[in-house]
Amino acid sequence: MRFVDYLAPTNLDSALSAFAGGKWTVLAGGTDFYPARVGHPLTEPVLDISGLDELRGISVTDDAYRIGALTRWADIKAADLPPAFDGLRLAAAEVGGIQVQNAGTIAGNLCNASPAADGIPPLLTLDASVELASQGGQRVVPLSAFLTGYRQIDLQSGELVTAVIVPRQVEEAFSDFQKLGSRSYLVISIVMVATVIAADPEGIISDARIAVGACSPVALRLTELESELRGKHRNDRALQHLPTRHHLDRLAPIDDVRATADYRFGATLTLIRRSLRRFAESA
Amino acid sequence: MKIALTVNGRKVGGELEPRTLLVHYIRENLNLTGTHIGCETSYCGACTVIMDGRPVKSCTVLAVGADGADIMTIEGLARDGQLHPVQEGFWERHGLQCGYCTPGMIMAAVGLLEQNNNPSEDEIRHGIEGNLCRCTGYHNIVKAIEYASAKMRGEQPAPAEWEVTA
Repeated sequence: MRFVDYLAPTNLDSALSAFAGGKWTVLAGGTDFYPARVGHPLTEPVLDISGLDELRGISVTDDAYRIGALTRWADIKAADLPPAFDGLRLAAAEVGGIQVQNAGTIAGNLCNASPAADGIPPLLTLDASVELASQGGQRVVPLSAFLTGYRQIDLQSGELVTAVIVPRQVEEAFSDFQKLGSRSYLVISIVMVATVIAADPEGIISDARIAVGACSPVALRLTELESELRGKHRNDRALQHLPTRHHLDRLAPIDDVRATADYRFGATLTLIRRSLRRFAESA
Repeated sequence: MKIALTVNGRKVGGELEPRTLLVHYIRENLNLTGTHIGCETSYCGACTVIMDGRPVKSCTVLAVGADGADIMTIEGLARDGQLHPVQEGFWERHGLQCGYCTPGMIMAAVGLLEQNNNPSEDEIRHGIEGNLCRCTGYHNIVKAIEYASAKMRGEQPAPAEWEVTA
């Protein structure tokens, strides 16, 4: 009997050198790995990176938060992070159930690149970047550029994701995340909305970031809506009439078993309005 | 590939095909069949075990990935013939019907109560959201966990609903 190749390096250098020398399927939390292979024998060589403890945990520098690639959702949910991360923490609490949050990693969610990945909209609103390493060196790519299409990512041969980098910009901003599914828990999203909105002491919106997931091959920021929000007062009555359908023109939701495209458009408007109302009431 | 781990306090291990799932290792190599296989897609939670203090779904963990880990399965809960308070709760509050989801439910509940020794009903429901009961017996499962939570805090559990007369 021929055993399948399986390698579990214990430090990043040996992982990168193994990865450079062969075609491996990377295994981290495993929460998407096995469910995608039920009923099929596992034939591909596996590089199990779950033992790379140096890639686990959250640290902070003068200008950024660094979330290690293997940081689990349960750790993010429990982390002591400023208000702008509230949306990310709410998303962490809705990724699968407790067991999945205990195993699934932030980088796994990004690399799996599902249009319905819970972690992506909040990270887009945090202007997150992805740190990649290979034997040849390191590069940092904005998350919006890292995600290139439906389940497609900008990962070159021999590269591993090592961290998610969030710049320290609007740490005290209001932040929210809403996920609509057919029930509360353990469900693939119909629509997700993440928001980060910063206001100055007078209540004028200085920065607004709104991302929508599960309505396009890759989750998107609604930049036109964001620029319309900037400069408005948090209590401006005009906020009650935002967004409108044309703000969603870049979205391309599909009809599927979970919902119709029309329903997704309607639900997106409702979820964003709800977030704006929460923001207005947050002061 | 060779692994060594601790299951229910016992050192186990040996040579293993790297593709072996932890749940298959536990059931077939260790003959601990209390851990059930339900969906094999990480939905149902029947295969939940506690790995290094955290509930995980053992159908989505490779046994080789558990090398060096400390695993607790349903068989490891009772001590000296005494049921664990969560097991006792399922008994006392009729927390099981067909029993298929029960080991996973109990392990998820044990994990929950280790993190939070006095969860609200909402927190309990949130804590077992990764576990499905096809009999839909969630009501009594929640009551069973409330019973266990009281017991583990050294308090008298609230009487069962059927013991309360109007």
